[in-house]
Amino acid sequence: MKENILIIGGGAAGMEAATQLQKMGLTPIIVEKSEHLGGHIAQWDRLFPAFHPAKDVVDQMLNQVKDVKTYLNTEVTDIQRNSDGFKAILSNNETIDAKAVILATGFDIFKAERKQEYGYGIYNNVMTSVELENFFRTGNDARINNPKKIGFVHCVGARDVKVCNTYCSKVCCTTALKQACEIKEVFPDAEVYTFYMDLRMFGPGYEDLYLKTQKDFDVKCVRGRVCEVSEDMDGKLVIKAEDTLFGKPLKMTLDVLVLMCSMEKNKSIDVIQQKLGVANNSDGFMQNKDMYLGMNGTAQDGVFVAGACTAPKSLPDTIGEARSVATQVFNYINSK
Amino acid sequence: MNSQIFHPFVLPFVLGMAFVLTYCLVGLIRVILQLPKDDRKQFLRSLVTPKTAWANIRDLFGDCLFHVKIWKRNPLLGYMHSAIAFGWFMIIVIGHIMLFTLKPLEGVEVEGFARTFTNFYYPIFFKYFAEETPVFAFLMDFFLLMIISGILIAVVKKIHSKIVGVKRVTKFGFADNMIRFALWTIFPFRLIAEKTNIMAFWWLYSIDLLIFMFMLPFTRYMHIPTEALFILMRHAGLNAREPRKGYALAQLYSCPSCGLCIDACPMSVNDKMSGNTSAYFMKKLRNKDSDEAKRIAETCLMCGKCVMVCPVSIESCDIKFSQRAAVPYEIHSDHSYLDVISTEAQRSGEISSKDKVLYFAGCMTQLTPKIMRAMKQIMETAGEEYEFLDKDGGICCGRPMLLSGKTAEAQAMIAKNTELIKKSGAKKLVLSCPICYKVFKEEYHLEGIEIQHHTQYINELIKNGKLKVNKTDVNYVYHDPCELGRAFGVYDEPREVIENVGNLLKAKSEKELSICCGGSLGSFNLTQKERDEITSNSVADLMFNNPDEIVTACPLCLKTFARKSPVPVKDIAELFVVHQA
Ligand SMILES: Cc1cc2nc3c(=O)[nH]c(=O)nc-3n(C[C@H](O)[C@H](O)[C@H](O)COP(=O)(O)OP(=O)(O)OC[C@H]3O[C@@H](n4cnc5c(N)ncnc54)[C@H](O)[C@@H]3O)c2cc1C
Ligand code: SF4
Ligand code: SF4
Ligand code: SF4
Ligand code: SF4
Repeated sequence: MKENILIIGGGAAGMEAATQLQKMGLTPIIVEKSEHLGGHIAQWDRLFPAFHPAKDVVDQMLNQVKDVKTYLNTEVTDIQRNSDGFKAILSNNETIDAKAVILATGFDIFKAERKQEYGYGIYNNVMTSVELENFFRTGNDARINNPKKIGFVHCVGARDVKVCNTYCSKVCCTTALKQACEIKEVFPDAEVYTFYMDLRMFGPGYEDLYLKTQKDFDVKCVRGRVCEVSEDMDGKLVIKAEDTLFGKPLKMTLDVLVLMCSMEKNKSIDVIQQKLGVANNSDGFMQNKDMYLGMNGTAQDGVFVAGACTAPKSLPDTIGEARSVATQVFNYINSK
Repeated sequence: MNSQIFHPFVLPFVLGMAFVLTYCLVGLIRVILQLPKDDRKQFLRSLVTPKTAWANIRDLFGDCLFHVKIWKRNPLLGYMHSAIAFGWFMIIVIGHIMLFTLKPLEGVEVEGFARTFTNFYYPIFFKYFAEETPVFAFLMDFFLLMIISGILIAVVKKIHSKIVGVKRVTKFGFADNMIRFALWTIFPFRLIAEKTNIMAFWWLYSIDLLIFMFMLPFTRYMHIPTEALFILMRHAGLNAREPRKGYALAQLYSCPSCGLCIDACPMSVNDKMSGNTSAYFMKKLRNKDSDEAKRIAETCLMCGKCVMVCPVSIESCDIKFSQRAAVPYEIHSDHSYLDVISTEAQRSGEISSKDKVLYFAGCMTQLTPKIMRAMKQIMETAGEEYEFLDKDGGICCGRPMLLSGKTAEAQAMIAKNTELIKKSGAKKLVLSCPICYKVFKEEYHLEGIEIQHHTQYINELIKNGKLKVNKTDVNYVYHDPCELGRAFGVYDEPREVIENVGNLLKAKSEKELSICCGGSLGSFNLTQKERDEITSNSVADLMFNNPDEIVTACPLCLKTFARKSPVPVKDIAELFVVHQA
């Protein structure tokens, strides 16, 4: 039984779904836009909550999909449904016939410039969580020059009607605390602050990470939103925030400010998504069939979804969904 | 012609006329008595001041009879209004003139009170009682037909409003529909009665008049007599102080619910929100639906566009402010911090030079640091001596408190800011936020200090050669911020700045008709979703000619548009950073 299954997106979700489908005897085909597989986790240094190297995970997954037919630097430019399933045209002009389609296009990082009051792109020493992760991976970032005082701002581009995103991005609280610890590992003398609305430590071992952050690393978690950032004469950052536990406004001078940018729906797939008839939900992510038993399905027969394209998700969540989407597709093909 | 001087069919008319005259007289006295004492004096004095008296005469004719403003907007609609109003006016005037040309009826002597009484209804039912002289007969028929032509347009408009360029029309209740029907039939009945002399039509004509005049005070047609009073009061320079009293009351009844403000209002992006427009506000307040009036007053963005397009010049935003001020909102503000605020220069004890420019960013520019940074670069490049009034958090200009009707709180801030500004010794105050600009212009007394919006300031610096810029072929479109454009008519300076650095394209609606970005602080209770809809509509209007970038001159517009715009949005100050020569 060799049936083609088209997987758009070769991040964690796409790779894991392909691995499972192949084991089930189907023929997954991955179409990946960028020049490598792995998606976002390939950009991370270590993963919360266990500080496990992301590269390990990515390498294992790459090894599992080494026999899967994969197109890199390729996008789907057109897709049509026919009596056999789907016919997709790729940007390299090849055509693929497939019985089912899995959308696994993941997320995009919120563009921090959109929150101008935080000064990203205006003040030199304001950076994003992604750039900090890059620093941990490469050890290079001109902005991080033996900093004495570092702040993390949570919920940048999330839980904020002003930028049209009301949802919680789920993983940035944990990422912030993970990165706060990591900064302390590199610069033990630095003072580190995080500014949160509330800490959403939702998974196993996450709350322990929170305690560790405070006990072992003496990170100061302040409940309150940063409202304004400005720069002083020496190029240091002056932030204004409110400590809502003390009910007092506070002002602080920092060397580096890290913005925990939210996940947003990856819009590069919008045209194809529309052609397939898959709508978006109120948060702008892809709408699945329902939030419970139908989480991998869509309103369209034969079109499936997995990973962070339907909502912000952690890696374990994503892997779980990728495995379940494989089962769903398997059942779908067998019922035909 | 019938040789009698009285027939019972005149009675319905006489009754209606007596009723409406009494009603209006009582109303007039009431409104005048409701005016605060100073306002009353000012009003009465204006009636005998030659300048205002002349303006009164001009507008009474121009607005009430000829509807000049509606003509300008849409000639067909203008014709409809003036045909009915002017035509009606003329047949009444000619009717009265004819009274003098009449020969007394043979064998009937009418004297004294009876004579006066007949004069009352004669002009209305002329053809029944007397013979007209040919010239007058022609004029009478002419104006009657003119009215009927106006009514025909009205009937068509009712069925299909797009013909007269109106998209959304006010929705009316039973009474308004009924009186409209009466109005539409009065003149056709008269025409038939005059031409055929069938008694039934004389009766119908008279009864129609009774219905019209009896219902007039309870419907939107009350605007006909009230508008005259409103024009006089407006020229006297009065201000609406209480939402349903005096001057505001005169305005409430002068609004004919024409609905022109509905299409103009940025909130009319959907049917539900179009219920928040001034036409409905006036109607609800007039009908004493105070819950709804309060709600709408709090919802309005206060962008002023409805005031700009209103053919009657109703100052609906002022009435909404007075409505807000009438509600004791619970705002617990603590202004004890005011005492300790000072500027950087004052703390360091530097004595300031006289030519210094004082720049006040304001709370919203503090949240858009790109503008602040650009302003700094501009002042430095131009070699200006400058100081930040609110470098590390200054005091609010006072506008939010004013918007919610909290005058005392606002005054506390205004006083402290005034003190800081005066102490600085600067000769010029520059604001990059139109909202601050409005407040500093209108509520502050800063004699000897020039107040400029940064669009004006930058334009001046370019003109006198202090700033040098490169012209490129980037296509820009400019959004007129409400508080800068409609409020102060600052339309040209920003456009001149843009033309210096790129091509200026037109938006679909510009200048006076510019559409609020939807972010206005004026509204207390529009939901984010509703605001987003307004913003998208406004952005679409700006994108009409496919510009490369949108330029505005208000930090709030900037932030609001940035959420929805397909192209980059910049403040006018940022253009300098890009195009500096
Ligand atoms: C700063 C940060 C740190 C994080 N750290 C952790 C952590 O420590 N632990 C943890 O459990 N989770 C973490 N996460 C969450 C984790 O990154 C996600 O759960 C995971 O990346 C989701 O995988 P995905 O495959 O669904 O999406 P993605 O990783 O976004 O992969 C999507 C793939 O699809 C491709 N693609 C997109 N559009 C197209 C298209 N049109 N055509 C073809 N291909 C396309 C992309 O190039 C990409 O390769 C973190 C997230 C962030 C933002
Ligand atoms: S996970 Fe935390 S930081 Fe991220 S959006 Fe939710 S609450 Fe904010
Ligand atoms: S406020 Fe002015 S524009 Fe609006 S309905 Fe009344 S008269 Fe017409
Ligand atoms: S002020 Fe603006 S928002 Fe308010 S009713 Fe008038 S046009 Fe509409
Ligand atoms: S933010 Fe700008 S467009 Fe919106 S109300 Fe204010 S001035 Fe008008």
